[in-house]
Amino acid sequence: MDLLLEEKHRAVRQSVRRFCDRELRPIAAQIDHEARFPWEVVEKMGRLGYFGIQVPQTLGGAGLDAISYAIIIEEISRVSAAIGLCVSVHNSVAVYPIIAFGSPVQIERWVPSLARGEKIGAFCLTEPNAGSDAGGIEATALADGEAYRVNANKVFVTNGGIADVCLIFCRTDPAAGHRGISVVVAERGTGGFVVGDLEDLCGMRANPVCSIRLNDCRVSRSSRLAGEGMGLKIGLAALDAGRIGIGAQAVGIAQAALEEGVRYARQRQQFGVPIQRHQAIQTMIADMATQVDAARLMVYRAAALKDKGRPFSKESAMAKLFASEAATHVTDLAVQIHGGYGYSKSYPVERYYRDARVTRIYEGTSEIHRMVIAKSVMGGS
Amino acid sequence: MHIIVCIKSVVVDAPRGKIVRTADKCALNPFDRPALEVALQLKERHGGSVTVLSMGPPTAEPTLREALAVGADRAVLLCDPALAGSDTLATSTALCAGVRSLAPFDLLLFGTQTSDSDTGQVGSQTALMLDLPMVTGAVKIDGTLDCLSVERKMDGFLEIYELTPPAALTIHSSAAAPSDPALGNIAVAFDEMPVETVSIRRLRLDPSLVGEVGSPTRVLSMKPIKKNRACRWIEGTPAVQADALVRQLVDAGLIG
Repeated sequence: MDLLLEEKHRAVRQSVRRFCDRELRPIAAQIDHEARFPWEVVEKMGRLGYFGIQVPQTLGGAGLDAISYAIIIEEISRVSAAIGLCVSVHNSVAVYPIIAFGSPVQIERWVPSLARGEKIGAFCLTEPNAGSDAGGIEATALADGEAYRVNANKVFVTNGGIADVCLIFCRTDPAAGHRGISVVVAERGTGGFVVGDLEDLCGMRANPVCSIRLNDCRVSRSSRLAGEGMGLKIGLAALDAGRIGIGAQAVGIAQAALEEGVRYARQRQQFGVPIQRHQAIQTMIADMATQVDAARLMVYRAAALKDKGRPFSKESAMAKLFASEAATHVTDLAVQIHGGYGYSKSYPVERYYRDARVTRIYEGTSEIHRMVIAKSVMGGS
Repeated sequence: MHIIVCIKSVVVDAPRGKIVRTADKCALNPFDRPALEVALQLKERHGGSVTVLSMGPPTAEPTLREALAVGADRAVLLCDPALAGSDTLATSTALCAGVRSLAPFDLLLFGTQTSDSDTGQVGSQTALMLDLPMVTGAVKIDGTLDCLSVERKMDGFLEIYELTPPAALTIHSSAAAPSDPALGNIAVAFDEMPVETVSIRRLRLDPSLVGEVGSPTRVLSMKPIKKNRACRWIEGTPAVQADALVRQLVDAGLIG
């Protein structure tokens, strides 16, 4: 692992770990149970730079690299995956596209307050009838004088319940197919901007995932990111970077499950010995540790490529695919090691098991990632 | 106000009892964090700057950068092969020379002890060598730059001292809760800020006074202590269990 890491990265990890163990760990089970977003901790994270990890310091961010970003998301998710999700989505699919595609005026308008965590960002692509098929969205933003009249029904919006700045994918030219999709930035509080009820989710329950509807919502044309028709390009670029975050999140959950599995295997006695002495448990631990390590290396490699300015789309897709599948497997084994107790909310592996599952679904399903990877390996046709 | 804080990169992990000073097995001494925090709070109140000073191998550098990340302005590492094997006396001798090279200063702060060697001697020895007034285990620092008021808790008493800077203090760990470094400050501390490395030659320090040759202490051997712990079950109703537990604790001389 140290092949890719510098002293700075170790310092970042230690600092984030100390913060999360102190601030998040004591409440992680409770906020999951109550489906409560812990503003009291998130505000502190905002002041420390967690909401502008890779944003230049001149714009109020921390100015760190992509490897640091992966480490931070991993460490938060090791304690509370729902908060890791909040930070990952905010940084990589809300703030990053504004920096990458926004005009200087737009960057100045939105990024500093987002980077300081004073405002929270969200990425609104998925609709009831368009998930993996992003080109099939039905939302529209039609020209209406100097503004767009936006009508959209966006679902499963991560951070939706608390988001102030939302990237809305919509058709500015309904007749133009994929090329008619654009991104407009809509702010909470605008007339016609409606936040729906929170989803009652299986995992990631402390994240306020909900639907966001825009009903004849007037958004100025100056709120559109890049040119009309650039929507899918922006979306794909955001998701390339986002995959590093979700991969790192999966690594964090898997790492937590591995640690709990090892801890329990040392304590639990059966047949007169701690169960770690049984070979069946040892093989599980070995598989878990190997999967976590491999996943982490893949995530860091994708991040290192991004830091070097080299293409990382295939590598981030592979990292997200592998890490999310590893996380579901590793958390499953952690539950198995715990036996009946692992199925109880008394032990944290029950939460890890639920949290891990969605990493194979959001920001591109495993199946979509396999398509991306296969296309990259075999060439497009 | 110029405050110097002496800090140490301590060993936090010694697999199988063996000490290997690599950066990943070392960290900023937890007892030094409150001292650094007190220094930063004083700087915020009175203005000025905070310098962190350490003696150690090159692997101590990230620890100094951590101190820069939380707000120190300057980091100096006394680093020289001749310093290896220093006991507390030789360490104090080296730190004394280091502090002199950073003068003028108003306050010299230390943690009360280190989490690895735990002698608690270096702060007092260094203050003595520098001929500075000193209060150990300070919990609160008030007053003006000309006259500091320092509180110290000891044996159930609260002592209040007045000191005229320059002065030295060891800071009790209850004095201040260490703050988290902002992520951006970690980036700046590691990517941009310098850590000055100083040799004993630059300090004009006599090599015979430091390192192994300058250390009267000899550690003959070091081995981990095995703790024999036994788990004893107490059966019965909660009331019976409580009675039995109390009796056992009284019999063992732990309570009563």
